[in-house]
Amino acid sequence: MKNNNKPANRRKVLVIAVLFIFFALFVKLAYVQVFMSARINKKVEKMVRRENVEMPKRGDILDAKGRVLATSVRRYNLFLDPKIMSDLNEVKQKLAPHGIVIKQKSLQEFGDTSYVPAAFNLDESAVRKIKSEKISGIGFENKFIRQYPEGRLLAHILGITGKDGSGLEGIEKVCNSYLSGEQVKTMQSRDGRGRVIYDRLTDTSKIRGLDITLTIDKNIQFIAEQELRKAFSEYKAKKAICIVQNPKNGEILAMVSLPDFDFEDKIKNISALRNTAISDIFEPGSTFKIVTVAAAIDDGKITMSDNFYLENGRMKIGNHTIRDDHKIIGYASLSKAMEQSSNIGMVKIAQKLGSKDFYDYIRRFGFYSVSGIDIPGEAKGLLLDEKNWNSMTLPTVSFGQGIGVTAIQLINSFSSIANGGVLMKPIIIKNIENTRPENMSFFESKEIRRVVSEETADKVKTLLKNVVDKGTGRTAKIPGYSVGGKTGTAQKIDPATGKYSTKHYVTSFCGMIPAMNPELVVLVVIDEPKGSYYASSVTAPVFALIAERAVQYLNIPKDEPEIIKNDKIK
Amino acid sequence: MYKPLLAVICIIFGVFAYLWQQTTAVRLGYKVSELKNEYERINAENDSLRLKINSILALEKMDRISREKNLYKPAEKDIVYID
Repeated sequence: MKNNNKPANRRKVLVIAVLFIFFALFVKLAYVQVFMSARINKKVEKMVRRENVEMPKRGDILDAKGRVLATSVRRYNLFLDPKIMSDLNEVKQKLAPHGIVIKQKSLQEFGDTSYVPAAFNLDESAVRKIKSEKISGIGFENKFIRQYPEGRLLAHILGITGKDGSGLEGIEKVCNSYLSGEQVKTMQSRDGRGRVIYDRLTDTSKIRGLDITLTIDKNIQFIAEQELRKAFSEYKAKKAICIVQNPKNGEILAMVSLPDFDFEDKIKNISALRNTAISDIFEPGSTFKIVTVAAAIDDGKITMSDNFYLENGRMKIGNHTIRDDHKIIGYASLSKAMEQSSNIGMVKIAQKLGSKDFYDYIRRFGFYSVSGIDIPGEAKGLLLDEKNWNSMTLPTVSFGQGIGVTAIQLINSFSSIANGGVLMKPIIIKNIENTRPENMSFFESKEIRRVVSEETADKVKTLLKNVVDKGTGRTAKIPGYSVGGKTGTAQKIDPATGKYSTKHYVTSFCGMIPAMNPELVVLVVIDEPKGSYYASSVTAPVFALIAERAVQYLNIPKDEPEIIKNDKIK
Repeated sequence: MYKPLLAVICIIFGVFAYLWQQTTAVRLGYKVSELKNEYERINAENDSLRLKINSILALEKMDRISREKNLYKPAEKDIVYID
């Protein structure tokens, strides 16, 4: 019996021994996992956890139709670490097929360091190819760089960014806080080979900056830039400006300032960054006459049927003589005075209005105050306080001399007439991604004030239409469309003499299309054109080219029969 | 005899399940970080391609090419607008 029990006992002992070993292991495991875990975790965390900084990607800038105007892409810089590198020649050989040349000189220049930059702005695919070579002693650092796929288009509006990626000019500056995103720090756990074991998932919406949508239409901007650039070089002008605006909501559809700059080039002349459309002041000349006429009609001082004696083209005020370029003998109607851009007619109208009322209307039209457009550097203009006006101020201001305006102020005043007498805030930012409507109110279309009655605005529109149909603005005509507008040729002050120059002019044309129910208002300003300087031959044709292409692109219906060359109605 | 053995087996199974869960978490951690890298790479590539498309379609470039190829604006009667 005893012999039979022996194997069974042995088995029992073996089972118990195995169980005991497992139990002991389990106890040890439980002790390590439960009681020692905090201490071990602390030690391990110290060894494997590393702080990781997620660089934010700057948001895109889009045009009104969502097309990209500015974007950021990740690029890599390749650097050498001579302290880890075993064979420089091998590294050179392996990098050469990728177009990276390492000069011995640059290695010597950097001296005893672990960082020698060797190649810049490599894209993702190039980096992947280099990494596959498994080269020791090289490393990559990544960063986002700003790219403008349309080249120099919209350079002044978009602005520029600094080396650190923050906006320095234009929309890049105004919307920097929205575009830049937030730098997010996360803790990563890495194993002995540097592979990430655990990385807390971060809120990517924080890392990425917000996209900004502008009111600018890329195609209209291109049309305006192309036509203006042609005129700018043809007339060898000092400066040129074009703004296209929707008068109904104040949206800027295009804004060009020449000379401009290319994002690809190094900006040598800092003045090239100046957006002259909002920053430069000029005397508007006859384009300002709509303010004089609208104010007098609105104030009931003149009517559409009034006639004015135009002094046979010469009018003496004190020691000064005011002349009309287009001499009218005897009397002329209000419409005729506007069509022929009579300075004397405007003086007489302004005199009826009086300095105080005239000054008030000028201010109501938005002159001598910033328009509030969301681009930095806007100028307020120049205008003497009404109390300091002398005997010549009222007459000269009536035809747009002795007052300094910006292009944005001038187009906005025309737009107020086009919009039935209501002045709108010019806007250029349409939308900011993920922004609540209550936070967008600052950028929204806003009515500033009613400047003149709707009835007055309609009368002024009729006068402007007559200017294009029968007057100095005939070269602004567009087949199939009614156009209203006003030419302006202003003498510039010669800095040498302090007097008005007979050589240097600012020529402008501001027009609306269709004339009585305008969808677009376009302003063209050319500063110091060489050769011809009359607005009718310099700026009005440029207006016609831009406006014609813009209305065709926007598919604005024709409102007039198209007269073709042999006078047949199409 | 079998009850304690079953209890020990259960405990051991529990411990192994816990260990398996821990190692799986680490393995999935590797996988997640790998996928995250892949996602970032594709995203960056997508951005680069988008930039390339926009640069190719830049209006100035298209205008230059159209002039080189003697293309001209079609007459109004030749244009059909599709809503």
